[in-house]
Amino acid sequence: MSVTAPDRPRQAAPASTRQPGRRKFSFGPYLLLVPAIVVLLVALGYPLVWQFVTSMQRYGLAQQFGKPPEFVGLANYVELFSDPQTWAVVGRSIAFCLVNALLTVLLGVLIALLMNAVGKVTRLILQVAMLLAWAMPVIASMTIWIWVFDWRRGIVNWALTQLGLDFTNHNWLENPLSFYFVATLVVVWMSVPFVAFSVFAGLTQISDEVMEAAALDGATASQRFFSIILPLIRPVLMIVTLLQVIWDLRVFAQIKMLQDAGAPTASTDLLGTYIYRLGVGSSDFAMASALSIFVLLLTIALSFFYVMHLMKEDQ
Amino acid sequence: MTAATVPIRRRIRPARVVNTVIALLVALAWVFPVYWMLNSSLLPNTVLTSTTPRFLPLGGSLDNFAAIFREGSFWPALGMSVAITLTTVVVCLLFAFLAALAISRFRFRGRTAFVLAVLFIQMLPAEGLFIAQYKLMGSLNLLNSVIGVSILYIAAVVPFTIWMLRGFVAGVPVDLEEAAMVDGLSRTQAFFRITFPLLAPGLVASGVYAFLQAWNEFTVALVILQAQESQTLPLWLRTFVQASATRETDWGQVMAASTLVAVPVIVFFLFVQGRLTSGLVAGSVKG
Amino acid sequence: MKKTLSALALVTASALALGACSSGQASSPSATGSASASAAAQDITLWLAGGDTPDALRDYLKKTYKANTGGTLTIEEQAWGDLVTKLTTSLPDENNTPDVVEVGNTQSPTFTNVGAFSDISDLYGELGGDKLLQSFVEVGKVDGKNYTLPYYFGSRYMFYRKDIWKAAGVEVPTTLDAFNSAVKEITTKNPKKVKDFSGFFLGGQDWRNGISWIFANGGDLAKYDNGQWTSTLSDPNTIKGLTQLQGIYTDASKAPRTAKDQSPWLYINDSDVIKDDADDPDKVTGKTSLAAATIMAPGWAHWSIGDLKKVDGKETREWNSDTFGTFVLPGNDGTPAPVFAGGSNIGISAKSKNQEGSRELLKIIFSADYQKMLGENGLGPANSDYVSSLGDDEFAKALIESASNSKLTPAAPGWASVEASGKLEEFFSKVAEGGDVTALATEYDAIFTPLLNGK
Repeated sequence: MSVTAPDRPRQAAPASTRQPGRRKFSFGPYLLLVPAIVVLLVALGYPLVWQFVTSMQRYGLAQQFGKPPEFVGLANYVELFSDPQTWAVVGRSIAFCLVNALLTVLLGVLIALLMNAVGKVTRLILQVAMLLAWAMPVIASMTIWIWVFDWRRGIVNWALTQLGLDFTNHNWLENPLSFYFVATLVVVWMSVPFVAFSVFAGLTQISDEVMEAAALDGATASQRFFSIILPLIRPVLMIVTLLQVIWDLRVFAQIKMLQDAGAPTASTDLLGTYIYRLGVGSSDFAMASALSIFVLLLTIALSFFYVMHLMKEDQ
Repeated sequence: MTAATVPIRRRIRPARVVNTVIALLVALAWVFPVYWMLNSSLLPNTVLTSTTPRFLPLGGSLDNFAAIFREGSFWPALGMSVAITLTTVVVCLLFAFLAALAISRFRFRGRTAFVLAVLFIQMLPAEGLFIAQYKLMGSLNLLNSVIGVSILYIAAVVPFTIWMLRGFVAGVPVDLEEAAMVDGLSRTQAFFRITFPLLAPGLVASGVYAFLQAWNEFTVALVILQAQESQTLPLWLRTFVQASATRETDWGQVMAASTLVAVPVIVFFLFVQGRLTSGLVAGSVKG
Repeated sequence: MKKTLSALALVTASALALGACSSGQASSPSATGSASASAAAQDITLWLAGGDTPDALRDYLKKTYKANTGGTLTIEEQAWGDLVTKLTTSLPDENNTPDVVEVGNTQSPTFTNVGAFSDISDLYGELGGDKLLQSFVEVGKVDGKNYTLPYYFGSRYMFYRKDIWKAAGVEVPTTLDAFNSAVKEITTKNPKKVKDFSGFFLGGQDWRNGISWIFANGGDLAKYDNGQWTSTLSDPNTIKGLTQLQGIYTDASKAPRTAKDQSPWLYINDSDVIKDDADDPDKVTGKTSLAAATIMAPGWAHWSIGDLKKVDGKETREWNSDTFGTFVLPGNDGTPAPVFAGGSNIGISAKSKNQEGSRELLKIIFSADYQKMLGENGLGPANSDYVSSLGDDEFAKALIESASNSKLTPAAPGWASVEASGKLEEFFSKVAEGGDVTALATEYDAIFTPLLNGK
């Protein structure tokens, strides 16, 4: 993943030679940024402002149909944070996000190491399997997973029962813990290929001589991993972990579809589905906006360390 | 890629065998749901709703696919999805490339602020945005249009794409370009002859990312593309999944429809696979 | 299929006649004078929810609208699950609103209360007036004015396995108490020795069927008093119904505590006829999938119940009246128990620029021909004059009988929020798990009352 690239001196050099002194016009870089900035402002600027304003109003379906909204200041936030349900959802989401991001990165790294350690044919088989899983549209793969875990006709229950455990008619989605187990399985299954490919790309850059030398020096596999491989793939790990944290914190489609398949909603809500329930479900768009703003801040807070670190490497 | 094709030769064979077995098991685990989809798409609904699973599509048929094609809404949805995805990928790559050029080749006031803003803006949860997005597209008269949805998709994928391309652009030695210019090429010529080919793997890697996002997205599409003739494949697939009040979900057809949505992506992936891996590798050269 | 075709032929013939007279009709009562002229030019869009309206009916609407007004009618189908999102964004937008929309009957109050629909009180008489299904008319009314009217209704009744009921030695019940004990008895006896067998299969989150027990005991979900809606779960009659329901959950139903009302018919079919042995095509390899003796489902479920048959190479279910039967859930007073009435309402978007054309479309929908077509396709027609078009088979009879005493969810402005909150499912599943009914009722009353009033 190029995104991780800390600027090397060679890269810094041309940049420094392009100081305004040498170039006649200094608005050049700004011109290059214009298209990206315009599209971001158009598509996200207005919605962001709307969300911010709405979060401080009373805004429900009546307001959506033309009744002027009333400004209430921070009342929505106060109400939101005095509701224990909000904190339950926030806690669950953070836990779910951390567990999933960690598992995904861990498995991704292991599979990348595996890709590196097997023969050409096996590697190709593994890569094609990963690509197929990665290429599956979310709706399609969720439909299949729900089918696989179906309490009555699902193949998981059937297989476990064949193994001698009585899982006939076991409902996986009934209990929040086993609901999250299924959700984690699905989310990790979907996200691992991206991590595995990114890390594998990083691994292929480690020169064989270094590894051979380390092996000759008597370094064990784990020593080789921690002292040679890990430092070299650290930048890749940083960025994929950051992305996983961002994506897993607001996971929506997977949870929503599992809930629709028959799970107690209130005890399985995560931030994404909770915002949806407040907005689409209860038509309380003000509260949904307030929660969205909070999620934005929460994500920034959770990733602050990473981002600062990335920025420092970027300088 | 050369590094990859000559993996570290281990002298201990048993470890290699264990690794191979594990790798094959992992591959099996990851590919199983995909196989299950294909298998189910070939079986009639009455078989699928029985309690004993059927592992091979014995006695299966293409009836489910035939039924879907007969119904006729697949092709327009495919056309819409292709148009939106292509627009998103092409425009996003262009915009992100320009921005990546700016932040990797220039030091300028506001650079850090821009990079930070780009990183943070993708953290905005989408579930609360739909009313604002609808109003925005309504006022621009872009509802139910390829352009309207593409703008929203581009904004969603451009931040990450900028990040990704930034490393690739930084990796192309400026000296090379300048040498070419000394040889009498114009700046544009130098760019297209020298820089662009070196960027190609990076463009492929980020293109795949943009492609997947645009192809799979459905919450924004649901709100912006309400007219039936403008629905994309994920929306089309939803109509199969969501049982109506008076009709039973036909699982065989749902699986066949899922297969049809997945196939173009898989074809695209297999098509770019070689380039994708080299793109990811080239990206990490600088990593 | 033949039936539909002949109906269509009949209908197209009458469409011409209808077209001729209704264009004359339209100009007379109109206040704007040039009504028929402007309606003639109007191209309008109709949103139908889900795939419930058959294609033949859609074609009829398009043709007739064209014939009557000269305008084009576009029909767009919206999935039930996305309907509220789309209505919320589109209806307030005058440039993009659909002109006529179908909404679920329980969703209607939420949108009528915020002024999403046009006042059509003046059309009420012409469209059927008091002949229209009144419980549905009620949920489309605000302050005595009509905003939405019934489109079609469905109703829920019982499907049961005659063989199992017989083997367990129980009779088809005539009172609710008899039903409650009969299904418990079947569960206990479990004549076919099927694991986790349910005398009556009722999902833990299935409040749409479960509320019948509340209604049957004279309870309700909410009441309207002095301009305030109050949740009435802890009303003594409601508690009585909930307690009976809990008895069924614990002693008669082995359905998962999270099951909703989706496809319960899968559980009363046998599928022991699966033959997938490649060498011996007659060898039965599949196990029985039977899991319940009784289910409660909307009438159209009968298409999915029966013996597995191969018709034209496709495996389908064929109703077998030796094995399967229907009855209407009885109340304790000799009348059918009040069950939840499914169905939908229809109204004109207040922001639509094509009010005249939309009104013409409503006239077509409420015409005798279209109402009969609904009935012929198994959808309960809004106008009681045409209920006979449902036919006189077992299913039509059960539908009409159960609908005769059916009831709707409260017409509160916040009802859609209550449904969307997922709290009703939660409440019912807690009852199903054997929680203290009175305590739960008090707890959830406190949650529902503010939601009902839409804050």
